[in-house]
Amino acid sequence: MSLNVAVIVKLEPDFSEGNISYNADGTLNRAETKSKLGAHSSVACLAAFYAKVNYGANISVATMGPPMSEIALSEAQSICDADSLHLYTDRIFASADTLATAEVLKKGIQKMKENENENNNGIDIIFSGHRASDGETGQTGPQTAWKLGYPFFGNVIDYHLNLKDRVVTLKRLVVLNGMDNIIEEIESPLPVFIALDPSYKPSFTTLSSRLKATIFEKNAEKKVANFKSYLKMFDHNSLELDPKEVGLSGSPTIVYKVERIPKGKMNRKAEIIDGRDRNQIKNIAEKILILNGQYGRS
Amino acid sequence: MEDFDVIIIGGGSAGLAALKHISALGKQAILIESGKEIGSKNVSGGILYSKNKEYGQVHNVEDIYGQKFLEEEPYERRITKYILNATSKDKVCSIDLTSIHDFQSNFGCSVLLNKLNTWFAKEAQEEAQKQGGGIVTGVHVKNIKWNNENTPIELDGGKQNSSTYDNSLIVETDELEEFRSRAIIAADGVNSEIASLLRAREKFSPDQLYQGVKVVIKLPEEIIEKRFEIGPDEGAAHLFSGDISLNQVGGGFLYTNRDSISIGGVYHLSSLLENPVEPDQLVNSLINNPLVKDLIQDEVPIKNIEKNLSKEEQTKKSFTISKLIRTWNELREIYYSPKNREKTIANGKFKSIEEIKDKINTTRRRLVEEFNTKFVTNYVELEYSAKVVPDGKRCMMNKPYYKNVLFVGDAAGRGIFLGPRIEGLNVGMDDAVRAAKTIIKYIKNNLTDPNIGEIYSQSIHESPYTRDMKKIDKDYLKVLLKAVKKIPLEDLGAKNNFLIRCMSNDFLRNFAVSTINKVGFYKFLSFVESPKIYIDIPILLAEKLGRKINTSTKFDIPELSERISKLKYYEDNNSHIIVTKPQIEFMKKMTVLCPTKCYSIEDQNVVIQHEGCIECGTCSKETSWKHPRGEKGIFFKYG
Ligand SMILES: Cc1cc2nc3c(=O)[nH]c(=O)nc-3n(C[C@H](O)[C@H](O)[C@H](O)COP(=O)(O)OP(=O)(O)OC[C@H]3O[C@@H](n4cnc5c(N)ncnc54)[C@H](O)[C@@H]3O)c2cc1C
Ligand code: SF4
Repeated sequence: MSLNVAVIVKLEPDFSEGNISYNADGTLNRAETKSKLGAHSSVACLAAFYAKVNYGANISVATMGPPMSEIALSEAQSICDADSLHLYTDRIFASADTLATAEVLKKGIQKMKENENENNNGIDIIFSGHRASDGETGQTGPQTAWKLGYPFFGNVIDYHLNLKDRVVTLKRLVVLNGMDNIIEEIESPLPVFIALDPSYKPSFTTLSSRLKATIFEKNAEKKVANFKSYLKMFDHNSLELDPKEVGLSGSPTIVYKVERIPKGKMNRKAEIIDGRDRNQIKNIAEKILILNGQYGRS
Repeated sequence: MEDFDVIIIGGGSAGLAALKHISALGKQAILIESGKEIGSKNVSGGILYSKNKEYGQVHNVEDIYGQKFLEEEPYERRITKYILNATSKDKVCSIDLTSIHDFQSNFGCSVLLNKLNTWFAKEAQEEAQKQGGGIVTGVHVKNIKWNNENTPIELDGGKQNSSTYDNSLIVETDELEEFRSRAIIAADGVNSEIASLLRAREKFSPDQLYQGVKVVIKLPEEIIEKRFEIGPDEGAAHLFSGDISLNQVGGGFLYTNRDSISIGGVYHLSSLLENPVEPDQLVNSLINNPLVKDLIQDEVPIKNIEKNLSKEEQTKKSFTISKLIRTWNELREIYYSPKNREKTIANGKFKSIEEIKDKINTTRRRLVEEFNTKFVTNYVELEYSAKVVPDGKRCMMNKPYYKNVLFVGDAAGRGIFLGPRIEGLNVGMDDAVRAAKTIIKYIKNNLTDPNIGEIYSQSIHESPYTRDMKKIDKDYLKVLLKAVKKIPLEDLGAKNNFLIRCMSNDFLRNFAVSTINKVGFYKFLSFVESPKIYIDIPILLAEKLGRKINTSTKFDIPELSERISKLKYYEDNNSHIIVTKPQIEFMKKMTVLCPTKCYSIEDQNVVIQHEGCIECGTCSKETSWKHPRGEKGIFFKYG
């Protein structure tokens, strides 16, 4: 029984030292800063990979963004051995808020149904990451699910499928303020939209499934070397989107003003200790001893 | 439960050779490695030798991996120059021992194990997958037991061999469900847990081990060639003995890689226990040797950030400077490497070599003028590592098996110390092929032969490497003496001089060697591997015959804590080592001898902080010692 999976990913700036670049005025230099597949997106890809290894899923990865977002798609392919890569790129998609983005993704995912699944019932599971690291609010996923009419499950830490009955059993983490976190186990018929918790890790518990995983990993490596042949580009025309519903004009959100949260007044001063400097360590040790003397040993 | 034909435990060069060979012979085999990736747990010096077959039937690297090994060159450099340096302070007496390096070998090449084993794994994996096998990383084997011992099983629906016994093994790991295997190759290295679990041998004792400590140093490709006076297809190896050893029995080494240098020491663990010296100090003493300083120094940028800027500004500046330094480094890597230059010009990134040079200079100028960066003469360390090395003549397993578990390579204690030359990589690979061949026979005979271990053992005893571990080779001694003869030894005192002259006589030497081999080579070890040979004579040589090397270079050698902070770890909350005898002398000495200072004394008890452990095995003998769980622990990027 076939299984079709879509993964929604996002290209994000790489904030690590040596990759990030600033303009003279201190703002982020987007052109020079390297970009890569977002960390949460990689987790979504891992979940898709699990479906590939254990259930033989057919995987399509999609992203909306400028043409350079193809980097994210190729990185995603290297993780999940994707069978097709979809890039939704169009000048008029720029400055989209989450709702306008969801509109593009909805149409894109509906297209996947039409294109790739002549003899089956469309996309069974959509995976997305928790949220993007560069200012996204975590709404894109639920909104896309809502537009598509898929049930949405967030903070998922584990899932299994019963392909015969087309049912998914999943575990999700529920954080209750002030109480112990709980894990909820849910069963739902397919199709579903699953947003992974950042802690998700696919668990291959038998030697043969681990072995299978390595074969797919190797396949992925081969595919990525030639990832453009898996890449399909879509603009608003090919997605049959109304320009009014996408990009800036499709975005009801108005960012009125961004304010820095004022820092609380600090009345303690932190001192940074460099562990490599023996003198500094000596100093801190002395201070601890003095403090101990002051307050007495408990 | 899942069933497999052959399981190989450990993905070092020995285990990988076993996987490659079994797969090439058409059988399914699965290799299990606890490191997150192949190559991440392996450390060598190291020179990989290919043995000349005139001296016995061996399976060399090029036999196992074919011509491709020579074409794709996953090694660093072919060593063409082999020099022994006797040191005393600023004096060095260099003796050309290239003939020792060439002894019985087709070639020897310097290697970095992460790269080499990754390449081996690629080849072995490809072959294995054709048979439904492969490599699984991040899985740690924690136990092996036998399935229904001595219960007769019926094969082929009971039509044949009703007397066959089910010898299959059940493997337990920390990560996966249990599975069954018909035979196992234990290639789990010098600190083999499998050997301990099965009580196939005692843990190696200090007297049977050397402790190897190493740092990899960065140096651009063509600068290496100029410094060491070698061509692009050549490499140099320097060995050191004398005062650099800080009074320990053993010596130092320096091998040229493609664009880095491996430098370190290998010292007898007994000697270290007798008179403990911090392992990193042994490496430092070598780095501080004037000859070495001249060979490894380079231009190094020092980041300098004004302290009066705001924290935010400082961070941004620091990021920008890091980026420029990275660019400068990358450009130099291109500029000083013919292959990289060619590639970069071909893909249109630069038009000419001059343009690359210009870009290096402008980047450097920007760093100096805009960002106050200083360029000093220093050296750059990439990685600090350590591992114990088994001395085969003292510890190789006489019967390297337990039932249908066959031990290969370091796990079987099979390392050769031939004067300054160490061989373990090639030996383990040869063992692995022998084990593979035996197992194939065993499987084809449908498990009927209970003597699988004996057949393998027989094959191991026929290996020329076993002979090398057991006996002094008189030809080797001849070559060694010939090399030493070139230097005027009159000054070394009448006794030494007399000995060398006697040994230079063919008849006397052959007589002496055959007597020694008859009586037992190991009985003379305390003489051969004595402080006199390793320390006193080299110092004497350096003082009497050495040249003085003046160097004004002062290195800023990193503190141990800095070295450790540069290492990559996947931390495990559970300690893989448990101190069981916190008050014994051995453990107290570990506070000095652990290369990453994991041990300290609290209230007269030795305690461990396992987080910095690099899994060298020095403390293994007197602790409850395991490898960390799958994926956890140290991750060597060079090895
Ligand atoms: C400083 C130094 C210098 C040396 N110089 C040379 C030289 O010049 N030439 C030379 O030929 N040799 C040299 N050697 C020796 C050589 O490096 C070793 O003999 C060789 O690397 C051993 O290979 P191996 O495959 O037997 O073991 P290893 O490389 O140790 O591999 C064992 C593998 O098993 C894995 N493992 C262990 N336990 C488990 C478990 N329970 N479950 C799953 N996986 C497990 C480990 O993670 C590891 O990857 C040197 C060694 C050192 C330290
Ligand atoms: S604690 Fe780790 S690093 Fe230290 S001696 Fe033991 S094995 Fe080696």
